[in-house]
Amino acid sequence: MEVTLHPKPRWRDVVLEQIHIVGLSLRPVGLVIALVLGAGTVVIGSEILGGGPGFDSRETFPTALISFLFPFAVWWREQRFGPAFLWTLPVERRRLALARVFAGFVWLMAALAGFAVWLFVLALIAGAGPAHQVTRIPLVETIAAYLFGSALLVGLRHPLRWLFGAAGVVFLTGNLSQMLERFYGVQSLLGSRRLYDAANDAGDVWLRLPPPAQWAIATSLLLGAGLLALWAALSRHRERRRL
Amino acid sequence: MSDAFAVATYGLSMRYGRETALDGVDLRVPEGAVYLLIGPNGAGKSTAMKVLLNLERPNEGRVEVFGLDTASHASEVRAQVGYIREQHEHEYSWLTCGRLIQHVAAHYPTWDQAYAAQLIEAFGVRVQKKIGALSKGEARRLQFVLALAHRPPLLLLDEPTDGLDPLVRNRTLALLAEHLADTPTTVIIATHHVTEVESLADHVGVLRDGRLVAQMTRDDLRRTIRRYRVEVPEEWQAPPELRIASLRRSRGGREAQWTLVGEEHDVTARLAAAGATVREVTPLALEEAALAFLTEEGAPSWK
Repeated sequence: MEVTLHPKPRWRDVVLEQIHIVGLSLRPVGLVIALVLGAGTVVIGSEILGGGPGFDSRETFPTALISFLFPFAVWWREQRFGPAFLWTLPVERRRLALARVFAGFVWLMAALAGFAVWLFVLALIAGAGPAHQVTRIPLVETIAAYLFGSALLVGLRHPLRWLFGAAGVVFLTGNLSQMLERFYGVQSLLGSRRLYDAANDAGDVWLRLPPPAQWAIATSLLLGAGLLALWAALSRHRERRRL
Repeated sequence: MSDAFAVATYGLSMRYGRETALDGVDLRVPEGAVYLLIGPNGAGKSTAMKVLLNLERPNEGRVEVFGLDTASHASEVRAQVGYIREQHEHEYSWLTCGRLIQHVAAHYPTWDQAYAAQLIEAFGVRVQKKIGALSKGEARRLQFVLALAHRPPLLLLDEPTDGLDPLVRNRTLALLAEHLADTPTTVIIATHHVTEVESLADHVGVLRDGRLVAQMTRDDLRRTIRRYRVEVPEEWQAPPELRIASLRRSRGGREAQWTLVGEEHDVTARLAAAGATVREVTPLALEEAALAFLTEEGAPSWK
């Protein structure tokens, strides 16, 4: 029998398919988010139109926490350990897990973009000026939280049992953030909170940005720690090497 | 059929805690063979399949699939394999059959769209139906479509007929036979329902308690394992060499029945030399011959 070995799939095809399939698995979550935002629009809109105080989205939507929990939605229908269907596919396991994490990231970014648009529309309804329409999404925190959450899901068989551990990580991240704020003043950029607080004076906002080097160090620290945690978690799924 | 091995394992051992699932298994599956891996529940058949795909890590030994070491080329190996696992349940119960087929197709560059459509029709898979709503039989038929449509050089079928009613089972096996006729494929079928798939098989391996106690071609199995009805004198003791070759024996009065391994003329001569008179020699069906390896305590290895 003449055997012609079959090729492996292209990496691009694997990633695209993971984006599709993760998108499908997230549909129920998306529906819930849409319902929440829809209800929120009605409540907040009526409050704004009624001359009420409006709302502070920083207090209402803890985006970093949502991002930390987002990997649960990405992986909840997947058997992550053992001889699961996912691992029967002809892709190196660590790369496949990474593709799935990336697919989740794509959908998270899409959700955040949608969220930013929603905030923008609310700001327009409220009649806010351009300076007030600065969308407050702490992007770096959000990404880091997603990386830590993904590491938890990918690396641990029983992530819920480690919830206290995860809470500890969030706590430490918060402390680290404060520490970085103290040393580098990066919170203004990472969290964009100062951007919002100082929105009445747009010029001031830009004057208060930290030096690029400090920003780069702080961002690298946060994202680096997240990537490191993710890499360690992915390594649990590496293909077995010769003993 | 070539002399090369599609699958070869070398001293494969696998333990789950204190339990031994595989114990020094040396499988040799020639390219183009349809290899029946027979054994009772818990013999290690499914574990062996998973190790071949690198889904489980062996404690000792190594595996080669088409010359590729699964420890270092696992994804390449999986690209060569169509796998039907023992379980019917699928993690993606929320997907439709059609979308799962599309999902799997995206991972196999050799996926044959036209053939897949043909298989979908032949197996009666309803593409709009949710996987979670499939019966056992429907789930198994879907698994067949997924395993065959990329025309893999190696099929690993773990209890493939499990969950199929007799009508569908026959139809499924006929479709599998058609596939094998059209596409050069090596097949390993792990089963304890030998009669259902024996018409396809040309090689047989018998696993018992994680050990491969027999491995040979089907023809060799048929030729060398026979039941001998013999008449023996009072107080007759079987000579040691016959005890070694015996797989199953029963005795009533002066008549004894032995299932013995060896060429018929050799065995008959040995029995005669030992003072037994051979009354009847019966060839065994494949299942009976295979089962003989599973029933006798301490049966020797025949590889």
